[in-house]
Order: sequence, then C-alpha cells, then structure tokens
Amino acid sequence: MLLAYLPFMVYPYDFFRAGVAALWIGVFLWVTVIFFWLTRRFFPGRSLKHAFFLWLIVWAQAVWTLTKLPPHWIISVFFLTPVSFLDDTAKPRHVRVFSKKVPRYFFERALTGVGFAGFVILLALIREVAEKRLGIQAFEQPAGMLLVVSGIAFLWKNQPYQRKG
Amino acid sequence: MCFLIIPFAFLLAMRGTRPAPLQKPVQGLERVWREAVDFFLTASLVLALWTFAGAVERIPPGVREHAILGFGITAYLVSHYQKKTDVFFLSVLASVFMISSKQHNLSHEILLAGIVSAAIAVFQTCFLGLRYKLLFSNVPPSMKGWPILCLLAGWIALVLRGLGGLVF
Repeated sequence: MLLAYLPFMVYPYDFFRAGVAALWIGVFLWVTVIFFWLTRRFFPGRSLKHAFFLWLIVWAQAVWTLTKLPPHWIISVFFLTPVSFLDDTAKPRHVRVFSKKVPRYFFERALTGVGFAGFVILLALIREVAEKRLGIQAFEQPAGMLLVVSGIAFLWKNQPYQRKG
Repeated sequence: MCFLIIPFAFLLAMRGTRPAPLQKPVQGLERVWREAVDFFLTASLVLALWTFAGAVERIPPGVREHAILGFGITAYLVSHYQKKTDVFFLSVLASVFMISSKQHNLSHEILLAGIVSAAIAVFQTCFLGLRYKLLFSNVPPSMKGWPILCLLAGWIALVLRGLGGLVF
C-alpha cells in the first residue's frame, strides 16, 4: 500500500484530482483482476506476465490520450496486484461475508481497492491542510508526505488490539 | 524533478534489485551505482530510439502521439533483456515519460536522464549508509521496518531538496 502510494508524490495533485485518480486505480484494479482471473488459462506459461504488462502499457496510453492522466498510476496498480496473481494454478479460498461464501481472492482485491482509495484521499487531505492552510513548506515536496507515511506505518504497526503471534 | 527523483529512488531502493546484505555496505554501494548506470543507459536508449523513430518520415504522425506505448514496449524489452526487475522497467517508463515531456531535444533529454540517475544513486547511497548505521543503533522494535525506512527517506529528501536549492 505504501509503495503503491509513491507515484502520487510525482505529480502534486490537488485533493479532487488525487481522489479521482485513486478511485480510477481501484476500479481498474478490479477490472484487471477479473479479466485476468477469467482469461489466465489462455496465456500459456510465462506469457501471462508479458500480457499483464502489455495490458498496463496499453491502458496507460489509452487513459493518457483520453484524460491526460500521466502513466504513473500503472505502478500503483502493479503494487496492489497480489503476488500470486501470475500463478495460473492458484485457486481462491472462500470467506463468509453476510452469510454468503465469497472467494477470498476477490474479497481481498475489493478491500484493497477501497482501502487504497481511502488511503490516498486521507493523505491528499492531510497535504491540502498542511500545505495550503498551515503553509508548511515540507509538504510542497515528497519529504513531508514521507514523514506522514512514516507516522501512519508506525500507527499501523503498533495497533493496540492487534493479535500477536 | 525532485518530485520524480525522491519517490523513484525510494522505490528502487526497496524493490529495484536483489538487495546486498546490509553487513557488506561496499558491495551494496557497488550495486547501487551499477544500477544507476544501467538506469541511465536504459533511459537514454529508449529516448534515443524514440527520437530516431520519430525522425523517420515514413512513420505516420499518428504513431508519434502514442509515446507511452512506444516507451513502454521498448523499456520492457530492454529491461527484460538485462534481466532487470519489473520495478526497474516501470521506473524507467515513468522517468522517460517525465523527461520527454519536459525536454524536446535529445541531448537535453539525455543530460536530464543523467542528472536523474545520479540523484537516484546519491539518494540510495545515503539511504544505504543510514540503514547500515542503524544496525549499530538501538532502534525500538516498534519503529523497525517501514516506519524507520520512511522516516529516513523523508529526512534524506529534505536534505537533498535543500542542497538542490543551493546548487541550482
């Protein structure tokens, strides 16, 4: 999640554009996961990996042509995509949601998309307040956001009710 | 270009290459600078190929508008040939796109690619040095991992930004 946020430091988006870009990344992640989950049998051997990167490049070009969104967002998609994604033998386990069994794979990806969008919107809000309202110069550059991300990582790692073991 | 250098330097430091053991900083240092040279050569090659392709009159003008596609496929093939990581390829693609959108002369583009590569190497050298020194410090367990790494990256970014402001 932290690495997926880094491309957002390259362009100093305002709050609205950052939110729209994060939502787009979440939606595109779901589309990618569903598309490759359904079609991965058609890509023999290691060609799945090549197809995945070609898919990213083609979509980066298409989105740039249509909306002028720089192609850095594909790096976020790459980091949000699960490690086992390119494994064609992987099978989804099931998790119970509202008394229905949902494949864990899709459930986790859906949560990842929503969580990432929320994470980016939160950081964009912090940046907006610190840079525009409080006038802290460190937030005009990536350094300020890295310090905030460090704080968030600290809080995440030291959650009071986290299970040990 | 600071906005480009800091995030990608951090990204490459974390996932760019198989990390050398922290106990052998000289080995890590060699790897950092070799990777920076590879980054510069790959970015320059992609920029040069695209410029030469654009200069060929037979290529229809519509093709030149698909720069991301051209950069991406070239960077992927060159990175794959060098057996680089996926993060290396994605970083080259993003950097080449940024450089080409700021400069339109090949020599200026290559100069900018050199500056970006050198700055990435300087960042990674500082990062490696500080991580090595942390081995001998009593970092609290609650700060180990991502919290301390992001903190170090933030401090280095502040210092490099200050130095960059003095030089340029």
